Amino acid sequence: MSETPPAQDADTSAPVLSIRDLTVRFGQAAPVLDGIDLDIGRGELLCVVGESGSGKSVTALAAMGLLPPAAQISATRMMLGDKAGDVDLAGLGERQLERLRGNRMAMVFQEPMTSLNPVMTIGRQIAEPLIRHHGLDAGEARTRALEMLRQVHVPAPEQRYAQYPHQLSGGLRQRVMIAMALVCRPALLIADEPTTALDVTIQSQILRLIDELRAELDTAVMFITHDLAVVSEIADRVAVIYAGRIVEEGRRAQIFEDPQHPYTLSLFASMPRLVAEDVSGGGRLAPIGGQVPAPGNMPAGCRFAPRCPFAVTRCMAEVPPLAAPAGSAGDGHRVACWRAPLEETLG
Amino acid sequence: MTPPILELSGLTKSYTAGGAAVAHVVGGVSLKVGRGETYGLVGESGSGKSTIGRLSLRLVEADAGTIRFGGIDLRALSGRELKRLRRRMQIIFQDPFSSLDPRVRIGTALAEPIRLHRLRRGAEVDQRVEELLATVGLSPAHRHRYPHEFSGGPRQRIAIARALAVEPELIVCDEAVSALDVSIQAQILNLLEDLQRDLGVSYLFISHDLGVVRHMAARIGVLYAGRLVEEGPAETIFADPRHPYTRMLLAAAPRLFAGPGAAPRTEIAGAPPSPFDLPPGCAFASRCPFAEARCRTEAPGPDSYRDAGRRAACWRSAELPPQAAEESTARMSPAFRRRLDLLHTARREALA
Repeated sequence: MSETPPAQDADTSAPVLSIRDLTVRFGQAAPVLDGIDLDIGRGELLCVVGESGSGKSVTALAAMGLLPPAAQISATRMMLGDKAGDVDLAGLGERQLERLRGNRMAMVFQEPMTSLNPVMTIGRQIAEPLIRHHGLDAGEARTRALEMLRQVHVPAPEQRYAQYPHQLSGGLRQRVMIAMALVCRPALLIADEPTTALDVTIQSQILRLIDELRAELDTAVMFITHDLAVVSEIADRVAVIYAGRIVEEGRRAQIFEDPQHPYTLSLFASMPRLVAEDVSGGGRLAPIGGQVPAPGNMPAGCRFAPRCPFAVTRCMAEVPPLAAPAGSAGDGHRVACWRAPLEETLG
Repeated sequence: MTPPILELSGLTKSYTAGGAAVAHVVGGVSLKVGRGETYGLVGESGSGKSTIGRLSLRLVEADAGTIRFGGIDLRALSGRELKRLRRRMQIIFQDPFSSLDPRVRIGTALAEPIRLHRLRRGAEVDQRVEELLATVGLSPAHRHRYPHEFSGGPRQRIAIARALAVEPELIVCDEAVSALDVSIQAQILNLLEDLQRDLGVSYLFISHDLGVVRHMAARIGVLYAGRLVEEGPAETIFADPRHPYTRMLLAAAPRLFAGPGAAPRTEIAGAPPSPFDLPPGCAFASRCPFAEARCRTEAPGPDSYRDAGRRAACWRSAELPPQAAEESTARMSPAFRRRLDLLHTARREALA
């Protein structure tokens, strides 16, 4: 994959998506998202990593304004900034959101079949947002949609244009989804596990495509995944999320060369490919004991503390702030752990 | 390899889909699963790996070939004989829900096969159920619950307990951990390893995940379009793949230590052929960077290349240049390694 530097370096302008203190709760239980801060710059790819129930998809849905009405959402800032200006996403009604979705921000999901209309040709589905948002006539929209199909490397686009989703393989469907999402040139693309259901060879093609398009179109990408190897292939920056809080954040190199949080380390230690050559674990995987806490049963201090082998009394009682690790150059690497860096606190 | 518990030879399966259309799903697959060993079967969607799992247990009938289980010719058995033998072989699926009746409590679901095969009587049945729950790391109280009360990890533990209830010698694991989160997946993989060590059970471990297969299997078979294209000891396959498809598959897997300095990724184009329309020669030839005229007309046999316990179905295996292993923890930083060591030590101390 190409080695484009993080957009922050290339472009000091305001981020495309900027979120501060995003909190989401359902009913009286503890919040499922608790104080999430995120920034994604132009052309930057941020990977949000975590396991099921960590809150990564809720974060994406909150940004897209797609959470169900029962969700109580609060944020001090939830800003989409693009060429058309800044929009405060938090204050928008459904109709205003509809004008943004598929236009200035778009989303692709793990299973393309759930978001493709089975009775509409794929060509019309790609052309439709152009007619709706940009007021193109049918002919212009068709030309642009065909162009987009070419751009996502769908072979024989003219023939595919008239086909229905069920006539396409899983890999092609995901390409069509990406074409649909990007046809209006949104400033922000949110991809929620877009390659998880695909075979490795197809996954590799789709990862390459996303990487290529965000460079070509300068799209900010929030890429949600549970797979650290995928993160390693495509991320500029990484946010590791656990039980509704970001526990560690940094550039790819910071997370993969200097992982600080015990949860980040535990995710690595659970990965078979790492253990294959790892001596200290004795060839044995090191799963994290226990389970992600339920919203009704969140620990008071660090939410990972009950499963953390390094936890001390303080971890159970006080929430650690997300801050630059001691001794770091303060260049964007942040960790929420009282015990980091481990080699120092453990003496 | 230990003496085989399962021996497939020339196994073939095709389906007709109305009219003259025939899908060739499995084409002459031969392999042996050693007793107490794990054989990893890898391939992409449509490669035939799940069909081979089902054929092996005669859940689906093969068109041709032989299946030997512990030396017994499975295809020659009558329905009743087969049913008796089924006790010795089990299968676990990706979705544990598919094999658990939602209306039946866990305890009842576990007791049923024990009673059916008359493995225990009376109070011993209950005792065995508790023992099984303990074996897979669940508590005796869980027997009163229903499947929907469990999340993915515990549910897969129940499916494993149910498979173990009949004391099988072979378990076919068909994408058994594919739907689980990494930390839960690690728990289940460790459990499967423990069971093998303690009970000597053999696994035919079917997965699309190369990392998982590498971790679990002693021997690996790589499937492409219903044929075994390469087979051998796991270490050899990963260190020095001799079939161009294996090489492509390994190169496509995302690397944990990508980033600056990592080798650039090779472009992978195309998709496998349709099982309805397999080419006359090697099925991989149209995508293969090494293909020559012969490859397009003449299909290489599964043994066209052989060396040290490994075989490959490729005319050009011997000529392929070495392919460096993609994944290497040599790229792991000292800080990373040190903290991983601390984590392992802390875990061990917590367990002790």
